[in-house]
Amino acid sequence: MYLLSLLIFIPIGTALLALLIPSRLASSFRSIALGVSIVQVIILLLILSQYNYEGGFHLIEKIPWISIDLGSWGLLQAEYFVALDGLSLSMVALSVFILLIATISSWTIEKNRKGYFILLLILNGAIIGSFCALDFLLFYVFFEFMLLPMYFLIGIWGGVKREYASIKFFLYTLLGSILILIVIVALYISVKTPESSDRIVHTFNVLHMQDVNNLIPNSLLSLDSTKLLGSFSFRYWAFLLLFIGFIIKLPAVPFHTWLPDAHVEAPTPISVILAALLLKFGAYGLLRFAYPIFPDAAIHFSWFVGLIGLISIIYGALNALSSKDLKRLIAYSSVSHMGFVLLGIASATVEGITGAVYQMFSHGIISAMLFLIAGVLYDRTGDRMIGNYSGLASKMRNYSAFVLIAFFASMGLPGFAGFMGEVMIFFGAFQSSTVNGLIPTWMAITATLGLLLGAAYYLWTIQRMFYGPFSVKNVTSDLTDLDSREYIMLLPLALAALVFGVLPQLLLNYINPFASEFVNNLFQSGNVLTP
Amino acid sequence: MIAAPEYSFSFWLTLSVLVIPLVASLSCFSIKQKIGWLAPLISSVLLLIASILAIVLFFQVSNSAEVSYSWVWFTLNQKEIAFSILLDSNTSIMILIVTVISFLVHLFSIGYMAEDQHQVRYFGMLGFFTFAMLGLVMSSNLLITFIFWELVGVSSYRLIAHYQEKESAIKAATKAFLLNKIGDLGFLIGLIIFWSWSGTLEIGDPNLLRIPAFWLTAAGVCIFIGVIGKSAQFPLFNWLPDAMEGPTPVSALIHAATMVAAGVFLLMRISNLFTEDVFMLIAITGSITTVAGAIGALFQFDIKKVLAYSTISQLGLMVMAMGAGAMQGGYFHLLHHAFFKAGLFLGAGAIIHAMHQNHQSNLDAQDIRNLGGLRKKLPVTFISFAICAAALAGIPFTSGFVSKELILTQMTTWAGNEISWRWIVMSSAWVVTLLTPIYTFRLIWFIFFSKPQHQHNVEEAPVIMRIPMIVLATGSLAILSSLSPIHISSAINLLQHSYPEINSKVSLASIVIIGIALAAAFYIFKNQEVKNQKLITPHFYLDVVSNYFMVLTLKLSEATKGGDKLIDSVIHGISYLQITFAHITGWADRYLVDGFVDGIAYSAKGVGAITRSLANGKIQSYLLWAMAGLVIFIVWILY
Repeated sequence: MYLLSLLIFIPIGTALLALLIPSRLASSFRSIALGVSIVQVIILLLILSQYNYEGGFHLIEKIPWISIDLGSWGLLQAEYFVALDGLSLSMVALSVFILLIATISSWTIEKNRKGYFILLLILNGAIIGSFCALDFLLFYVFFEFMLLPMYFLIGIWGGVKREYASIKFFLYTLLGSILILIVIVALYISVKTPESSDRIVHTFNVLHMQDVNNLIPNSLLSLDSTKLLGSFSFRYWAFLLLFIGFIIKLPAVPFHTWLPDAHVEAPTPISVILAALLLKFGAYGLLRFAYPIFPDAAIHFSWFVGLIGLISIIYGALNALSSKDLKRLIAYSSVSHMGFVLLGIASATVEGITGAVYQMFSHGIISAMLFLIAGVLYDRTGDRMIGNYSGLASKMRNYSAFVLIAFFASMGLPGFAGFMGEVMIFFGAFQSSTVNGLIPTWMAITATLGLLLGAAYYLWTIQRMFYGPFSVKNVTSDLTDLDSREYIMLLPLALAALVFGVLPQLLLNYINPFASEFVNNLFQSGNVLTP
Repeated sequence: MIAAPEYSFSFWLTLSVLVIPLVASLSCFSIKQKIGWLAPLISSVLLLIASILAIVLFFQVSNSAEVSYSWVWFTLNQKEIAFSILLDSNTSIMILIVTVISFLVHLFSIGYMAEDQHQVRYFGMLGFFTFAMLGLVMSSNLLITFIFWELVGVSSYRLIAHYQEKESAIKAATKAFLLNKIGDLGFLIGLIIFWSWSGTLEIGDPNLLRIPAFWLTAAGVCIFIGVIGKSAQFPLFNWLPDAMEGPTPVSALIHAATMVAAGVFLLMRISNLFTEDVFMLIAITGSITTVAGAIGALFQFDIKKVLAYSTISQLGLMVMAMGAGAMQGGYFHLLHHAFFKAGLFLGAGAIIHAMHQNHQSNLDAQDIRNLGGLRKKLPVTFISFAICAAALAGIPFTSGFVSKELILTQMTTWAGNEISWRWIVMSSAWVVTLLTPIYTFRLIWFIFFSKPQHQHNVEEAPVIMRIPMIVLATGSLAILSSLSPIHISSAINLLQHSYPEINSKVSLASIVIIGIALAAAFYIFKNQEVKNQKLITPHFYLDVVSNYFMVLTLKLSEATKGGDKLIDSVIHGISYLQITFAHITGWADRYLVDGFVDGIAYSAKGVGAITRSLANGKIQSYLLWAMAGLVIFIVWILY
């Protein structure tokens, strides 16, 4: 049962087939995309039924992909290697769910439907592929495959300043990709497969890269390498390159300025995918690649990682407070929330890592809801300025109820998924100083200010936009309440936010084994590395 | 390891009491707007059932000692976090009071909110609040307590903003939530400290105490910050007077009887976790608050704001009692206060309601200067209001006297015979004993006795609103808690506490002080022209501070916005540099590289021209060149 491959390649294959359908049949494309998403949901359910809660990887598929004999350089080997563990399973589940919602949300796209939905399907496959790939080269291919559809989806279907936003998005992420690629090459020449005896077999297998015994002695990234560049060894540099490469995606301050622009200009479904899924690759990359492959460097730089997380939390929240555009506000709140993830990762405690993954998942659900909500208003009025609205609650009753739910969920109200992630991160970040001494307690304590600021910008927005006497500036159209399609999108998200807030064990069953293995491995190899 | 719960009768009873208000809330929210009139009925009936069950539960618990249940909620790092419940006599009486007062407030609201457009939302939130409050009371796990703690905050926010088209109501709601949030962050940090050092959050777990002394104190202080927020203590009490923007029954239930008392309840529940330093902080904070609140109440003209400041003062008294070794007295006072303060608020609601029914003008019905002489027109309201006010003032034969007595007695013991900071704290209790009758008298005098400024043709509230007032007034009589009007030692021993010996000096002193206060108040207010009384806003400059912080935050946020502009301009700069560089290389490509290539091409052309002239098409000349080449080749080979 090649369930994972089916999950990845059904959308991509469908996209290729859909190319053959003439664009005259415009409305068929959205049905096709919806069909694919529904099939993916079914496959996901099959995967969940097969997955057991134990640690390690499940549903492994491993096929040789590229194998080139490079003579004295050894053997180049790349595999098609996909599998799921607790981390990737939660991300894949999130992706399937969000992509379904995003497809429904794309229903109103009018402009060039064929192109739009084909790009959406390619994006779909690439996202799931990157979350499953355990071969670094394969990951990179999928990762780059996401970039291009995203660029076009923002650049063609976006708002007024879409060209600027899409090129900014493209350049930022391309920079990140290049940094990652450099490390992939460096890793490739430094790591051999454990099977290689006298003849070195190079590999892109991430699991091999994570094992320090597979480092080729005296290679660029080997432990005993004494070569320094500046004051750091090459290993430390490689970690930093990966780190910067991934936090551009996250995004963390100061590499975040592409995000508000991309969100403001992107069409609603693309904003949803961007916030709910693409941002997760930043944290996913750190958890899957940067930390396990370079545990020594990760431990060395954890203070710095924590600081960047903390700065993102506060800085993002402050920027959200000063935003006059609803979508920009939500985008900055994403920066703030992803800062919590970074803080949890930096703590390198079981609680912190669990919380980080939980927060990734919950942010995926809640941010999707937030952007859909912004989209509902934009669809009706074409205006996102907070100051132009007042008293919407009296006109759009049900819509306001969902806004209230989404805002309170996002500000970390207990009972919603966001709270669980954040509280675990706080547990981890605070006890880090006693458990492993990586980040100081003041970081955890200061980070709680992010919650206060979060409450402030959301409540202020509610106060300005939804309560008070009703008035709307420059709007001619009638403000109707939610229609049934919007219910279909918002209700499952609200329920998911609630279910994972009330029954956290549903998700923790998958995350717990991953988190404890992650921390164990980190410190086992970390201790080997740092005397 | 957490033991599996035993599903006994009292378990199902507890669960029903907790869940019924939630069911009431959900059924209200699922009602269509068209049949909104059903919402008050459904929720009131359900709350009545819950109250009856709570009474049964109370007797069940007092018969068979403590009851505790625990379900594993989730595991984190192999440690279990449980949804656990602990019912002892203290908890079960609190549950009883919350459900009964909530039911009475529901009943009152049927009349009070009869003409409101948003009854569905109102009753839905009221039910949700009751659920959250019960969860907070029952829980014996700090995380669960915190969760319900936040949920009551949200329902309070939503209910303060009930009149959501009114600007001031929304602002008050936002302010209340944010000031509470500051406290909540303190609570959260306290939780985090306990989890990090002990790995458990079960209130009864002895491991909680086995943490370094510094961190135990720190955790205690942090949790107390949460109490400061929720129970409106200094310096975060300013949200409570503003919260009076909400409907009056909400003020009665949430901002007088139950939610604001949750902090005091929590202090009692986790008192075993506090160190000496924390108790000292609690006592001092409480004493500042109680005096500040009493002074505030003296100068207000809005009937609800007088009561709000009085609530702050009374909460301060309870908190001080908790910190100053008068825990039983403080808790007793909490229970009594819930009754008489809810009664006062409902009375105020009845007055406002009556005024609104008959005055369509823009007369501010909440301003006590506009009231007066209502004694004859609203007799039931007057009597119940007066009984509750007497309890607030601590007059003998009321419940307020009994509990204040207990507090004063216990605090006198606590303060000891040697003069220390404890005496200052204790003296504030006496100051409040003096001030409370004065502002209470002032309130009663202005509303019911003074000469009216306007002619009021008001009528008594409907029966459904009168019943709750009468019940609450009856509950404020001493007879319910003590058989003797002045001797706490003969208190009906519902809480199974042992009470200290009565200190007759303390009793006598307090009666004398109350008498003096009443006489003074009568003398001051009897002939005073109410209009001329100077208005000072006793926000104690705390609003200035919080506004300053707000402005600072907004400035900071502008700064970060500038920061983003800076980052962007750097990026734009780099891109422009790159584009410029690209133009330069483009130019270089065109003129230098291409020029070079062109140059080579030209030179090739030149060489070609020369060689072309050689290749002139004559076989003889080719032969000649071939021969020459061959000769050169041979010569080169030979040498």
